[in-house]
Amino acid sequence: MIKQFESDGVPVLLAPATGPSHAGLVFRVGIADEPLARRGITHLVEHLALHSVGVADYHYNGATGVEFTYFHMRGTEKDVATFLNGVCAALRDLPMRRLAAERDLLQAEANGRTPGVAEPLALWRHGGRDYGTVAYPEWGLPAITEDDLRAWVARYFTRENAVLWVAGDALPADLRLDLPAGARRPAPAPSSALPGTPAFFPGSPGLVAWDAMVPRSTAAGVFAAVLERVLFRELRQEAGLSYIAKTDYQPVGADSAVITAIADALPEKHGAVLGGFVDVLAALRFGRIDPADVAAVVNQRAEALRHGEESAARLPAQAFALLSGRPVEDVEDALAAARAVTVADVADVAAAAWDSGLLMAPEPADWAGFAAAPLASASAVTGTAYASLEDSGERLVVGPDGVTATAGGTLTTVRFDDCVLVRAWPDGARQLFGADGTAIRVEPTLSANGPQAVAAIDARVGPEIRVGQPPREPGSIPRPRPRPVPPAGLQAAAIRVQKVLTGFRRASTRTQLSLLLKVLGSLLFAGGVAISAVALARGDSGAAAGILFLGGLGAYFAHQVWTGLGVLRRLADAEEP
Amino acid sequence: MLRAVAVNGNVVLDPGWIYPEVAELRKALAGWSWPDARAVLDRVEPAERTELIRIGAERFDLAGFLHGVLAKDPADAAAAAMLGAHFTEVGWRIRTRRPAQFVSREQFAEFHGWLCKAEQVLIEAAARHPEDPAVWVCRLPTARGLSLGGPEARRRYDRLAATDPHHVPGQVQLLQELCPKWTGNWDELHAFAREAMLAAPPGSHAGSLVAEAHIEHWTDLPEPDDQQYLADRQAELVEAAQRSIWHADFRRTIGWVRAAGVFAMAFSLAGDLRSADAAFALLGNFGSERPWDYLGDPHTVIPARRAEARRTVEDAR
Repeated sequence: MIKQFESDGVPVLLAPATGPSHAGLVFRVGIADEPLARRGITHLVEHLALHSVGVADYHYNGATGVEFTYFHMRGTEKDVATFLNGVCAALRDLPMRRLAAERDLLQAEANGRTPGVAEPLALWRHGGRDYGTVAYPEWGLPAITEDDLRAWVARYFTRENAVLWVAGDALPADLRLDLPAGARRPAPAPSSALPGTPAFFPGSPGLVAWDAMVPRSTAAGVFAAVLERVLFRELRQEAGLSYIAKTDYQPVGADSAVITAIADALPEKHGAVLGGFVDVLAALRFGRIDPADVAAVVNQRAEALRHGEESAARLPAQAFALLSGRPVEDVEDALAAARAVTVADVADVAAAAWDSGLLMAPEPADWAGFAAAPLASASAVTGTAYASLEDSGERLVVGPDGVTATAGGTLTTVRFDDCVLVRAWPDGARQLFGADGTAIRVEPTLSANGPQAVAAIDARVGPEIRVGQPPREPGSIPRPRPRPVPPAGLQAAAIRVQKVLTGFRRASTRTQLSLLLKVLGSLLFAGGVAISAVALARGDSGAAAGILFLGGLGAYFAHQVWTGLGVLRRLADAEEP
Repeated sequence: MLRAVAVNGNVVLDPGWIYPEVAELRKALAGWSWPDARAVLDRVEPAERTELIRIGAERFDLAGFLHGVLAKDPADAAAAAMLGAHFTEVGWRIRTRRPAQFVSREQFAEFHGWLCKAEQVLIEAAARHPEDPAVWVCRLPTARGLSLGGPEARRRYDRLAATDPHHVPGQVQLLQELCPKWTGNWDELHAFAREAMLAAPPGSHAGSLVAEAHIEHWTDLPEPDDQQYLADRQAELVEAAQRSIWHADFRRTIGWVRAAGVFAMAFSLAGDLRSADAAFALLGNFGSERPWDYLGDPHTVIPARRAEARRTVEDAR
């Protein structure tokens, strides 16, 4: 039984447990709250707070998550009180002398970190804001000032925005949660960078990953676990295509949840993994669900709930729920809700999940009903164009509204009013990030008048989104490669003729025939014009009308032939299917 | 609808003239009567049902009708399989059967679009009826046309084999996928054909897979090695024929004309005209488009090859 009360203005959840007491102080703040230009600030606060209590080396004592940040300690009542009192004191007065050192430490930690395989899903779904920022490194660190930290703590690390959970018989006697007053900060609303779902985007070989946003519910959690069972059975046990087949269920805010599923594959087998994955999702959403799978999942949950109740392991999740604005759930209610989940409920979740799904796969998945997520921006900005010194097909346009990079006919636009981060190097290089997840890199050495482009960008970028970077090694500043000289004169003509011939070979018989007839037509009419011209010269004045008529038709056919040759050249340029 | 004239020269190619069930199914579809169509489909053996669904799907104006059937009963597996096969057929007609370099970009784009439509229908059908062999057979040409790769085709075939391990229409589809022109290689192809034949009950059409694999291999060889290649396989071809078309348990179920035709063509090309004559005798004046279209117009090729075999056998007397 979880008891609920307040201490020093902080809501407390207390449940009995055997062994040493264990307590955690949770704040409703996390990576999803961070603007990209201050990405890492919550983690930095966590590190600074822990440093003061002298246990910064023990990482399990603090954690920064997507929506929650917490500090926890297992030990005697006295240890727990000392630890949490120290955290609160440190949050009131962060040890700013440690700022530079902790920042370096975090950057080193980030360099050694392996990104989660499913992180690109967050970026493609949400862009460079709220729930998408988890996919980016802690790029805000260099720009974070003491004032930024104080403001962040004042906003989020307050007693109204905290919950304490304690697994033990009572609150530690010496505990004093001296936190500033503030307000409860609800989690941000998840934004969307996708024009529609189900959608897919290209990922790396060897992995199929999928996620879905669904209403938060017990049935949704059961669906995620059933999906894992079926994926594991089909992809690993029966087909032997995957080693890992896993799913995850994470609540988002008060009312939503994100379900993630991943399956790995040998690179040469990923087509079959995708095929099997698609079939499993289809089977579940069309209601072909083995009741035994649902029953097994429900039994596991019941077991976990009962065990969690005995060991007070439900406390952290209940603290998160309370901070999200949901009531603490009694274990009996949770058990009843799990047992009430039916096969039809799971199928309903599967259908909703399918509709909101985002897939990352090595191969296109349009055949399976996923639309391609946009790989390029819809529009360009107007402004001054800066040609690439390397590639005639690439250019940069900087205007009052933003920046557009064009490469190979693909547009990438970051508008200044939608720009969430600009990384700035002393040599002039810039990297701009849009809220929709787009990114543009500007290397002044690679563009004509590059420094002018950089100046135009800098003039429009406020300090709140600019993050200065340390100087680069001179060797890593790019220099333009020589541009290939375009062929000219005879050589160019030879290439054109060759292309026409290649195109002719590739064209359908119908196209070939129609072109030959058009050539014949223009030749015949040209002949007619010539004969009429001779007649005109011999004094047959009526031949003038013939010249006009035949010449007109001849010109029409010549134009048709010209268009046809263009089609052939394009056919030759087209990649071999 | 004008029925194509099926009798040309001395060979009947139209399955509607060969198999009464095909004529019956076509009549039901022409009269927009799905219950009548189902009556035929539900009566025949699974492999015949698959053949019928794919032949029925060739009709040009089916989409609206079958959508209507599915709207009334989304769980009708036969209607879903036929609709999927129909979209696939439309796509392949646009693509044509020519090598990729002779197919335009526009044709490929349309082909791809139709196959995607087919897959949407077939994914649902496979989810609802994973035990329906016809659905999995229909998902093999889509996998091939969408370039989903050998492992995915094999996965689909394995799903089929899980419900019917000797489903010849599906084995013929996988055989195509296993050709080097798609995603396989000769060793894999011949091994598959032989294993399928040995695993099948005696007299099964599956023996023709061995001959068909050799014909595929033959098409890839330059002259004159190609004829020698088949001549060297004569004993193997005879063994396969004895296990299927010449076996006492061989049955003239839907698909038998193609099975016998494959042997007739292989023997004819291998120069074993005595065996070819025996296969032709079995066929009478029945024939099939495939695999004869490798040699040209089946209407002329089949009678010519048949006459040649007959003449040789008579001359030898």
